[in-house]
Amino acid sequence: MKRIQFAVFGSFLLIAHSIWSQQPVTLSIFNESTAVSFHDLVNTPVHPGVQIGTEFNWKENRHFRLYPSISIGYMFHRKLFQGLFANLELGLDYKTSFGLNLKSKIGLGYLHTFSTQQEFQFEGGKYSSGRDKGNSRLMPSFTSGLGYRLSPERSESSEIFVLYQSWLEYPYSPGFIPLMAHTNLHLGFKFYPL
Amino acid sequence: MMKSVFQIIAVVLIGSCTEKDPIFNASFYECKSEIISNNLQHPLANTINDLAKDFIDKGVPGIMISVRDKEGQYTTSNGKSDLASDVDLQPCNITRVGSTVKTFTAVTILKLQEDGLLKLDDPVSKYLPKSIFGGIANAEKSTIRQLLNHSSGIYNYIQDANFQTASLNDLIREWYPEELLGYSRGRDAYFSSGTDVRYSNTNYILLGMIIEEVTGKPFYKVFEEKLFHPLQLTFTSFAAEDPVPDGIIRGYVDLYSNLNLINATYYSGWDYYSADGGLISNTADLSWFMEKLFKGELLTSASMSEMTTWVAPKDQSADGFETFFGPGIFQIMTDFGPAYLHSGDAIGYFASMVYFPDQEVSISWASNANYGKIDDIIQSRETMERIFKSVLQPNPSIIK
Repeated sequence: MKRIQFAVFGSFLLIAHSIWSQQPVTLSIFNESTAVSFHDLVNTPVHPGVQIGTEFNWKENRHFRLYPSISIGYMFHRKLFQGLFANLELGLDYKTSFGLNLKSKIGLGYLHTFSTQQEFQFEGGKYSSGRDKGNSRLMPSFTSGLGYRLSPERSESSEIFVLYQSWLEYPYSPGFIPLMAHTNLHLGFKFYPL
Repeated sequence: MMKSVFQIIAVVLIGSCTEKDPIFNASFYECKSEIISNNLQHPLANTINDLAKDFIDKGVPGIMISVRDKEGQYTTSNGKSDLASDVDLQPCNITRVGSTVKTFTAVTILKLQEDGLLKLDDPVSKYLPKSIFGGIANAEKSTIRQLLNHSSGIYNYIQDANFQTASLNDLIREWYPEELLGYSRGRDAYFSSGTDVRYSNTNYILLGMIIEEVTGKPFYKVFEEKLFHPLQLTFTSFAAEDPVPDGIIRGYVDLYSNLNLINATYYSGWDYYSADGGLISNTADLSWFMEKLFKGELLTSASMSEMTTWVAPKDQSADGFETFFGPGIFQIMTDFGPAYLHSGDAIGYFASMVYFPDQEVSISWASNANYGKIDDIIQSRETMERIFKSVLQPNPSIIK
């Protein structure tokens, strides 16, 4: 729990600082799935999630922008898990003159999952229902997608984006299932709050 | 201050999205009938009770064990049928027994051959339309016999990563046979039909469809007519009739290998409607079935000869028993001689049924949990050897 507190607090402070520093805020809702990457774009049932983050400027020219970003979020996978995460990503955008961005990111995050079901823990030779302390996970990710800058001529333009994020949950079930593949389909908005 | 706020938010958020298990009275799990002729004075009663207790001490929530030998039948249980409701598991409770159904499917096919409705050496394509087997490598030319003993080489849909993630994505989805076959389409066969053996659930989906084609009835109705009713298997049914019947014990999964269990009673929808799983029964019925089958009371001698014709895989598992494949049954070589065996998993449940022909002893055990660390406790080679050793007297003359 302390690890997730540290990760989420740290990300929260960075995002809060970025807002204060007139950096963009990225906000998205997404549908999480356990799925093999690029097999299906949309999976059902919907497992909702929400993510908030910010981006930092690093290198940029007329067509390319390379930038680090951080985000925190929550996802709810019915009957299986719910998770809080903090994610650090490196993004590369290809910008067209008419406002369309081709977007890609690689990332590494920390995920803390909790069961969405009542959990029974084996202690002292019997099962009892206690507090779910959750499970620590790494979540390496690769993301691709499209964005549209609402003011293409401005560098600090708001942007609507759709992102397809493939990520792995590791470790998953040691000695049984080493890792689990997930996808998140994001619909989001980047804006400058101040 | 911020730390406290965070903790409150986290507890409220996580806690409010956690489903509590429903609570049932003990009467919900009362058996519809008693086990007939349970010999409570059986000489092995204490030994079997100790075995059952040992499973519980190691972390299995509930276990039932049955033994049938010359002293009669003894069935016992230990642990809980429902952890949230704190109800004790009864020997007569019903549970999911997964792939043990494959033995029932195979025996049904052999009985249909006895009835003249099919022949084991006929190809699948004689009975099923191309819309069913099309696109599944080896399916058209494989024979019924090759489906039965897993020598068809047909790809096992359960191995497909897209199926595995899709079933995890929607844990309460009910899957139909045609959907499951879709995960075998376009996949390479493991080998040319008849050149090796490899376990594949897809074989038994096709066999269920063949039963329906030649009888004009749902395959599980044929199970009832040919097996459940004549053998008076009063605790046995097929999930398609009632996927989660009242009184079925709760099943649990150790999904993250840490003995933290969640209720998976409603998660087995991938085997409700296909003949590769979906059986509901208990160990008393399974032991009875195995005894009747291998004492020759179910099939003709010609069919029994088919039932005990074994095929060796080219490569034996390094850490398991030496294993041979038969129709809906395996022969394993144990320290106590050959044993005929089939085990089965459903999500949250495990069962195994074994018959020792030399000793004429039938042993079955079933747990209401699986996966993760539970699998090591209930189905490892060491576990099986411990059970066999407890029940059987070593006979040096038949040690391999």
